[in-house]
Amino acid sequence: MKTQPTDSEIAINWLVRLQRSTVSPADWLAFDAWLSASQYHARAYDAALLMDLQLAGYEPEIIQAAPLPTRAINLSVGPKTWRWPVMGAALASLLIGAGLIWQSQVHVAPETAYATAVGAHKTVLLSDGSRIDLNAASRLTVDFDRTRRQVRMKDAEAYFDVAKDPRRPFIIEAGHSQIRVVGTAFDVKNRDGLLVVCVERGIVDVQPMPSAGSRHYRLRPGQALSYDPKMGLINVSLARNGEASGWRTGRLIYRDQPLSVVVADLNRQFDRPIQLGNAQTGKVRLSGVLIVDTQTAMVKRLSALLPLTISDKGDGIVLTTR
Amino acid sequence: MKSESLLETYAEKRANLVRVFAARLRSMSEAEDLIQDLFFKIERLENQEVGENPSALLFQMANHLMLDRLRSQKRAAARDAVWLQGYITSSQGQVLADEPSAEAALAARQQLAALIQRVDELPQKVAQAFRLHKLEGRSQAQTAEVMGISQSTVEKHISAALKRLIQARN
Repeated sequence: MKTQPTDSEIAINWLVRLQRSTVSPADWLAFDAWLSASQYHARAYDAALLMDLQLAGYEPEIIQAAPLPTRAINLSVGPKTWRWPVMGAALASLLIGAGLIWQSQVHVAPETAYATAVGAHKTVLLSDGSRIDLNAASRLTVDFDRTRRQVRMKDAEAYFDVAKDPRRPFIIEAGHSQIRVVGTAFDVKNRDGLLVVCVERGIVDVQPMPSAGSRHYRLRPGQALSYDPKMGLINVSLARNGEASGWRTGRLIYRDQPLSVVVADLNRQFDRPIQLGNAQTGKVRLSGVLIVDTQTAMVKRLSALLPLTISDKGDGIVLTTR
Repeated sequence: MKSESLLETYAEKRANLVRVFAARLRSMSEAEDLIQDLFFKIERLENQEVGENPSALLFQMANHLMLDRLRSQKRAAARDAVWLQGYITSSQGQVLADEPSAEAALAARQQLAALIQRVDELPQKVAQAFRLHKLEGRSQAQTAEVMGISQSTVEKHISAALKRLIQARN
């Protein structure tokens, strides 16, 4: 037996109907007649409208980030032939700070593509003085003209230090989203359809879905935005300092991330693929800092942090939960 | 019928027109602005024949004004952050909106964030349609396209989500 809909339910149905792409004069006359029939109708509709207007102005809460349980397992386990020794990493960040060279360095002509292989990093110096640090297995194009500075990235992660030029906005297209800045430093990760933007300095404008006219999010230093286009999920939170761009100093930093994400990151660092034994394994969550050195050492440390069994399959490594 | 009676109908229907266009523009101030423009437009009409149904004519005029605005990008750049903590009240044909203090706005936002979480308790498709349409600002048609479902199903999902929100608030 179906119960009679309440005034509130009818009011909500009206609101949704009025938000179709077209509304006819007949719709209006019917709505007006319903509204005028009782003061309770108008009251119920106004409550629904108020809720909707609040939703239209809603911006996600800035969540106070939980402190990261920093278990930097950079001690003992594994050989000492680190590709990213701690000292080296510190030195590298000093060099970056001083604006000096770090790995390869290129000067740019307009409309150029840059790519890095698995395990490789690259620093690109742009003609306007901006710098892009490309993480492993990433690809992007740079296109400058007199009115704008345009970067397009698909599956890639990069850190941007953008030189100030108010007359030429710096625009990054990452998947479906658009990121717009004037002069600032921030990290953009666009992997497996998920976008994460972390701001270090300045203000960054992110528009998750410009083609659908979606709203703009203004991010300030220390804020991070993640966007899942499939679910329409947008989350703005506080990023722990250095968390997003730890890769630049040979560190992978995680806060409650599934192992599937960690393994995807590792597979961008090393040629030998790591696989997950089953779906359950991919869901195991990790918080901590991984120093990037050799694959064997990193996998060993992972299995010390998480209940994992390592099996060497010759053409790759398989991780399974114990 | 003359434009004089159009002004009378305007006075009578003004509040309800604002209600319709606030829903369509998802902004109270833009709707108020639009219906104000409608007033100036009918004021300038001099003794024009307005036909049998002045109410339907007013709606169509307002609808055209809205489409003109949308085309010429006359919309205010920022949506008005309507943290109408309390209510919208109807008084002598005027829809009034309360302007809250910063503190009240923060409280309202926190309350709303908690309410929005309740939508996630509903079936996944309902929560997804709600987020795409209500929080990300996609139209019902765009939401239907993204999700690969019909527009009437989108409407049902959105209604279900809003009902949960209103119910949770009361």
